[in-house]
Amino acid sequence: MAAGARRSFALSIFVALAVVVGLAVTAVHAADTPRRGGILLAVIGADPPSLDPHQESTFATLQLVAPLYSTLLQTDPYDYPKVIGDAASEWKISPDALTYTFKIRQGIKFHDGSPLTAADVKATYDKLLFPPAGTRSVRKNSYSAVTSVEAPDAGTVVFKLKFPSASLLLNLASPWNVIYPKKYLDKDPNYFMKHVMGSGPFKFKSYTPGASFEGERNPDYFVKDRPYLNGYKFFISTETSVRAAAIRSGRAYIEFRDLPNAEVEAITKQLGDKVAVQHTPMTGQWGIAINNMAKPFTDERVRKALTLGLDRYTMGRVLFPLASLKDVGALLRPGTEFSLPEADLQKLPGFGKDIEKNRAEAKRLLAEAGYPNGFKVVLKNRNVKLPYQDFAVFAVQEWRKIGIEAEQRPLETAAWFADGRDTGNFELIVAPTVEASDDPDTFLRRYTTGDPQNWGRFSDPGVDDLFSRQSRALDPAERRKAILQLQKTVLEHAYYMPGLWWTRNVVHWTKVKNYVAPPNHYANQKLQDVWLSED
Amino acid sequence: MATNIELAHASASATLAPRRSFAEVAARFVRTKPLGAAGAVIILGMLFLAVFAQILAPYDPYVGDYGLQFARPSAEHWFGTDEFGRDVLSRIMYGARIALFVGFFASFIGCTIGALLGVVSAYWGGRVDLLLERLMDILLAFPQLILALAIASILGPAVQNVVIAISIPVIPRVARVVRAAALSVKENVYVEAVQALGASRRRVILQHIIPNVTAPYIIMLTAQLGAAILAEAALSYLGLGAAEPTPSWGLMLSGSAPSYAEKAPWIALFPGIAISLGVFGFNLFGDSLRDALDPKLRKG
Repeated sequence: MAAGARRSFALSIFVALAVVVGLAVTAVHAADTPRRGGILLAVIGADPPSLDPHQESTFATLQLVAPLYSTLLQTDPYDYPKVIGDAASEWKISPDALTYTFKIRQGIKFHDGSPLTAADVKATYDKLLFPPAGTRSVRKNSYSAVTSVEAPDAGTVVFKLKFPSASLLLNLASPWNVIYPKKYLDKDPNYFMKHVMGSGPFKFKSYTPGASFEGERNPDYFVKDRPYLNGYKFFISTETSVRAAAIRSGRAYIEFRDLPNAEVEAITKQLGDKVAVQHTPMTGQWGIAINNMAKPFTDERVRKALTLGLDRYTMGRVLFPLASLKDVGALLRPGTEFSLPEADLQKLPGFGKDIEKNRAEAKRLLAEAGYPNGFKVVLKNRNVKLPYQDFAVFAVQEWRKIGIEAEQRPLETAAWFADGRDTGNFELIVAPTVEASDDPDTFLRRYTTGDPQNWGRFSDPGVDDLFSRQSRALDPAERRKAILQLQKTVLEHAYYMPGLWWTRNVVHWTKVKNYVAPPNHYANQKLQDVWLSED
Repeated sequence: MATNIELAHASASATLAPRRSFAEVAARFVRTKPLGAAGAVIILGMLFLAVFAQILAPYDPYVGDYGLQFARPSAEHWFGTDEFGRDVLSRIMYGARIALFVGFFASFIGCTIGALLGVVSAYWGGRVDLLLERLMDILLAFPQLILALAIASILGPAVQNVVIAISIPVIPRVARVVRAAALSVKENVYVEAVQALGASRRRVILQHIIPNVTAPYIIMLTAQLGAAILAEAALSYLGLGAAEPTPSWGLMLSGSAPSYAEKAPWIALFPGIAISLGVFGFNLFGDSLRDALDPKLRKG
């Protein structure tokens, strides 16, 4: 071949390659270019007890309404737990860390057309921090450092603190703290239990209890060109198999909370690369609240026997494939900054690895407490299969081995909250602790006296003091010391019975783009950046 | 007067049919109603399993072998094991207890209340009849399972609540059938005679009407048994009956069974067969009993 011909051939190869690469890049770019339109179809495992996230602590409320609201701050959808602004465009903290000043974005409108101002943020946080009579604020103890919220002008909100709080920013980014318009709160602080009026990327469209919940695109959303979707629709079913079948059939594109490994395997086997699975750890633990006010659980020996009767290590092995419950841990997520070291954990009742020794000790304690033959008890539960039911079945079967005959009684979500949280009408109740972050203030407040999340209704001044100390400590070492001691105290007295820490399988069709699953099913639910590559 | 004296001294000339022993009645039933006998065998088998489950069951139905989850049917576990490693056969044996307990009690309570209301309605007539019949109309307006579902969801999930939920829809169905029979009995001369002799309403109902409506009552009772077992399974399946880990056939079909239908089909298959067989047995027996007790269908 002549040199000219060779050069010409090489050139044509180069051009061809360039074209191919260029086309490929264009194709990839095209695939990554957000597409507008479409309705995101999702499935959810429970019906909400009410629509007010301030008063509730269930995904059943938050996942449905989160896309309808703005929050002051939020965790970064792509970088948990980094805190970024939402309604707040910027903020500054005073040198003594006792004053937090937030600038509110201009141009945010509620869905009724009225502007969102600092007055609305103040009204929202006043309701959260100082709930008026007749309303509930389940997370108010996370903000014990805050003395007042002020709105000096329409674009500024100031939080005044009585002591510096290491947790405050993360807690202000809580997805539960949705901003309500002041004028509605002034009329009725419970208005949002049954109504929705937010400023989020989607507007409320319809809700059929027990069946479905729909939102539609908010064309006036303050973030330019968002959301991409025309709307979203949740189908509600407590049955895991029904939700899995909805994904398999394409009737739904995503299940945000969790599906068990068996269902995930079946879905991926059938749909192959049409679906993707995001497996994440969870900032949530499944445990059992013991009514410390009811006999025989006023007796510490009985409470200890119950916790000693649970073989948590086998439980993790058995329940992980069934219900994604996996790790044995104390009151904060294993492996995180403030979690109890394993060596310390194993010294606590029910956490030692010799289960036969634990059971013998449980029987001894029961006999000493006057129950040599055990007793009968009702374990109330939520009628959501995953992972409530499997967890309860394992516990019931374990307790039979120490002579305790427990009858599991599943309740509708609203009745479960009413009996567990509101009235204390239970002996034992499955009471998970799931939060939007690993923050100790958020997780540990439920062990303090009178906290709305303290379902076991126990009161230990030592625990209250440790909580207060850790909350005020800015030195991480000092804070860690108080947190570890708090966990030991709660578990030594068996005020509450942790079970296992959860993990999460988020299964979705690959056409659902731009959703990154954080380590809980509360954060990143606004859906403003999510889009569908096809209908 | 003379007539009375003659009657008093008259002797009956007709011979009474000889009273048959239970064995003879049973043998005749088997001979004439072989399908009904097959149903009776199934029912007796279920009863046997339920009563002696503690002896017959190879494993504790509540205790799982965590090293043997989803084990296929084998010599050790004839019907395999479930997601907790619990023996499916043992759970089916114990499950027969709940099925029969709910079936018998729900049918008995529903049929008995229904029969009493039917008799009262027929005998009293007038406003009482009108009121009771309209009440029955209201209850009959709802499909049996839907009504049971509504009642169970109000009462909450528990076995005793399932009994109540299943028995209430049975009441109007039985009341209608028994009322019709009681209306016919009420018109008989002997009832008029005891009324004329001054017998109280209570005595007439208890001694002269109820004994003569026993046949439709028994027929309805056996017919409702199968339906009650099926309703219990349906309510448990829907999470309104017994709760895990109680061994209940319907519950075994729901729960994790649908999730593991591909991986471990035996978890759903065997309880499904047990429910079908139980309902089939009661239906066969009930149909044959109806034929045997109905004079119009009786041969010879």
